[in-house]
Amino acid sequence: MGEQVLKVDADLSAVKEIQSVGGETVKRCYQCATCSSVCPLSPDEAPFPRKQMILAQWGFREKLLSDPSIWLCHQCGDCTRYCPRNARPGDVFASLRLMVTKELVPFKFLNTFYNQPWGLPILVLISFIILFIFTALTFKGVPNFFDAKSFPYSDIYYKIGFLKLPARVVMIDIVFLSLAGFVIVVMANAVSKMWKTYLDYYNIPQAYRYSYGKIISSYLIPALKEIINHSRFEKCGSNSWRANPHKMLVFGFIILFITTGTVFILADIVGMHTPWNPLTHPVKWLGYIGGILLLYGIIGLISGRNKAELQNSLKTSYPDRFLLWLILFVGITGFAIVIFRSIPFLFNLTGVIYMIHLITVFLLFLAIPYSKFSHLVFRTTAVVFDLYYKDIQRKLKSSDLS
Amino acid sequence: MANQSILVVGGGISGITSAIEAAEMEVPVYLVEREPTLGGRVGQLRYYFPKLCPPTCGLELNYKRMKANPNLTIYTMTDVLEINGGPGNFKVKLRKRPRFVNDNCTACGECEKVCEGERVSDFDFGLGKTKAIYLPSPMAFPGKYVLDKNALAPGDLERIISACPYNAIDPDMKEEVFELEVGAIIWATGWKLYDATRLDNLGYGKYANVVTNMQVERMASPWGPTGGRILRPSDGEAPKRVAFVQCAGSRDENHLPYCSYICCLATLKHTLYLAEQSPETECLVFYIDIRTPGRYEKFLKRAQNEANINFIKGKVAKIEEDPATKDLIVTAEDTLSGKKVNERVNMVVLALGMQPSTSDNPIPGLTTDEYGFVVEKEGIIPVGCAKKPLDVMCSNESATGAVIKALQIIKSA
Repeated sequence: MGEQVLKVDADLSAVKEIQSVGGETVKRCYQCATCSSVCPLSPDEAPFPRKQMILAQWGFREKLLSDPSIWLCHQCGDCTRYCPRNARPGDVFASLRLMVTKELVPFKFLNTFYNQPWGLPILVLISFIILFIFTALTFKGVPNFFDAKSFPYSDIYYKIGFLKLPARVVMIDIVFLSLAGFVIVVMANAVSKMWKTYLDYYNIPQAYRYSYGKIISSYLIPALKEIINHSRFEKCGSNSWRANPHKMLVFGFIILFITTGTVFILADIVGMHTPWNPLTHPVKWLGYIGGILLLYGIIGLISGRNKAELQNSLKTSYPDRFLLWLILFVGITGFAIVIFRSIPFLFNLTGVIYMIHLITVFLLFLAIPYSKFSHLVFRTTAVVFDLYYKDIQRKLKSSDLS
Repeated sequence: MANQSILVVGGGISGITSAIEAAEMEVPVYLVEREPTLGGRVGQLRYYFPKLCPPTCGLELNYKRMKANPNLTIYTMTDVLEINGGPGNFKVKLRKRPRFVNDNCTACGECEKVCEGERVSDFDFGLGKTKAIYLPSPMAFPGKYVLDKNALAPGDLERIISACPYNAIDPDMKEEVFELEVGAIIWATGWKLYDATRLDNLGYGKYANVVTNMQVERMASPWGPTGGRILRPSDGEAPKRVAFVQCAGSRDENHLPYCSYICCLATLKHTLYLAEQSPETECLVFYIDIRTPGRYEKFLKRAQNEANINFIKGKVAKIEEDPATKDLIVTAEDTLSGKKVNERVNMVVLALGMQPSTSDNPIPGLTTDEYGFVVEKEGIIPVGCAKKPLDVMCSNESATGAVIKALQIIKSA
């Protein structure tokens, strides 16, 4: 032992990166481990966040990358409230999640645009240009955005096989289906990378390295149940108020996803073209319920965060604020389209609102691989791994006994 | 010509040292103490550092010197209200609370025998009770009883007055406000224990068997509430397994941001008390760093040899009670193994930190820092734990040094 030399290379760039996205207090930690004891989610065998704090202080990217703990934290802020050094482990963990997100997903410049305030105008511009180009292509020239009959409700239709689609639907399908495809490909790749590092880090025996199919069928469903019930989130102490608005927000997203899917099938494939009657159509009502849940959830999260900041258990840094306000804007502009469309003297401004709404939705889609929104995928992966790991631990133990 | 007298505020070990050292230089010295007796925190301990002497050892010698010295005037039960003037001519306003017992008292104890009313003993940190008329400590100086009028039972006063053979009870004594003119002030008001109820995750005040380090001192003291035995408050049993929570309130920006200097050593001392009581008592010491300043390193070795200690590197941040046995489950992360430990113990001792006595009652004319420690300014010299957290030895060194400064001021101003 005594003769072995352990060479440790601190990675200053990783430390600086953590500090630049909300973890500026990381260096204050003096490893007393108060955080690990007060955390209601931290397990006995692999407690967090104390260990990850020292890994972050040294900038150990690889180790942080292969640690599911940073995703098992729901940032209730108990650790931050009790931290004797005001090192704010909860907020540091948020920045570690951003760092790992950046590590795992290609086209890192997009991540930078998402997580630094100066990137916002660039992002808006990028999404506007893409939407503008495809609008111009599908609307056969630049439409008049101040005339709703020109944009979005033009009389240009495309016949594709048995389908007859209006220009706006073609534009949206081209842009958003390819965007969704891009997001799915990069995230699937990232999840696969993440999963492999977890398997290696935890030395999972080959016999227990199941196929993705088996993992999904045995562990993804229980994980999704847990996530939808917010059973981990509700254990959080200081910020227990967050679980309910977050749950409503998740329900809102699920309902809106179903609504969009229904519209896609009914309008684009079956041919029941929108706009539908805003007062009587059941799918419209489903959309309204989803939208209201979304607005209720996001406003609850924004106002709750302000309260939590007063109690010093949570800090809202730019990446947090960006996502909160982006979702709020998606909700507000979504409802604004319905309102503008129904009021005659506002009718011609519908095109402008429509464009703004598409920009916010575009940014929200792209936020999945590049912002804090990545937790949608990565936290789910970590929860799946947690269930899987506990299960094979049990199996290993029982095989030891027999 | 500057005023040639010195005021020493606080009659603990530092104040006593300063007062007697100055008085023996033949200058007039006033020693002012808030409590009814001198002795301060040292008087409450079982043993004190560096050599683990009982408090009688250091205090009685000094009391003898004080009794023999004509230059020293002592005021007990007296608070400083405000300080005016400057070096060489301070005017200090004081308030003396009534003792209701006059100088005739010989501490014979006849009054106590007939008194029925009782009061919680703050000297014993709430672990015991005294009669409404009581001797503040077995080695009280001055050796006189005190009457707490609020604790009297009906008829007590008449019984006490008729029981006193020396006509020493004076229920009509009044509060006095008076002024002293002095050339220099030595400030030695010492420390108090940080309020453990503010550490809401450690269960003090909620769970019977979570006690403070100073309560352990009182229990270990032969004339303390348990006659020298360290016992569980819930059932009076001797604990077999005790957890010590280091840095309870200290090195914590939500409480006391500084290190209180003595708590690690106090805990090591307590493990020796427990070993003395029963050698197999297991002590779990949960720590961030064990701090043994200077030569106290060897005391750590001594405790490791003589007591049954299990050191766990990780701060306790959660304590739960088993309601059936009143045992406690202490949770910490052992940072050396990286796993959480949940230990069942019979008793928890919070190694609470020191807060300066001046932390929550600002006195006009006295400068304190952000934590309440007294800051030196010309003519007002803080010593001992009024200045910073210290042990007895360092407090006495600062107290002696302060006398030189005070003498320089009154001789040169």
